Amino acid sequence: MKNNIRVERAIKGLTQEDLANKVSVSRQTINAMEANKYVPSTVLALKIAKVFGKTVEEIFTLEKGD
Amino acid sequence: MSTRLLLPNKYKKIGWIILIPATLVGLVLAYNEFGVGWLWAKVFAIANEGTEEHYKYFTFTYTNITNTVVGTLFIIGAMLVSFTKEKNEDEFIAELRLSSLLWAVCVSYILLLIAFVLVYGTPFMDVMIYNMFTVLIIFIIRFNYLMYKNSKTVADEK
Repeated sequence: MKNNIRVERAIKGLTQEDLANKVSVSRQTINAMEANKYVPSTVLALKIAKVFGKTVEEIFTLEKGD
Repeated sequence: MSTRLLLPNKYKKIGWIILIPATLVGLVLAYNEFGVGWLWAKVFAIANEGTEEHYKYFTFTYTNITNTVVGTLFIIGAMLVSFTKEKNEDEFIAELRLSSLLWAVCVSYILLLIAFVLVYGTPFMDVMIYNMFTVLIIFIIRFNYLMYKNSKTVADEK
């Protein structure tokens, strides 16, 4: 699964730390998601989408093989 | 992810305080082939070696408890270190913990399998002794390595 968290974060002017605090996870988690090393739970994906004011599909997209 | 089975983070420090000395004393005991008799006590035993190949059940016995005490402290310490929350516990860390556990069980049994096939006689007794602790030891090393690796990539990030 791909995501554009890094891009959305830049648009909003948020650091990884800021986003981590807003969705109450560690900065490592945001970092791992941006590096495509971790697929978040549905709850976390919904929370992140809410922070950016977008739908989950606008931030997370399926890849071939998913 | 539910983390109901984990203790609060403050117990992790207590765990390390118990685990580190227990490991050091355990290494001294292993070096002496577990034959050191520093501590003796009368203890209750569900099963105990009796005479003429008959076990004795539910008896009190006066015995050397050095290995018992050190082994118990080691397991308690290792369990506290293993099964407490991180300071910044979240779902990603929970996944790292679970995958580390899977890894540890797998590696531990591969080591046991190798030893099973290649070690015979009295040395196999040593294999059994070490095997009691390998899952916890390998898990602690693996999990902390992954946590370290992740905190390092975070530090590199702008």
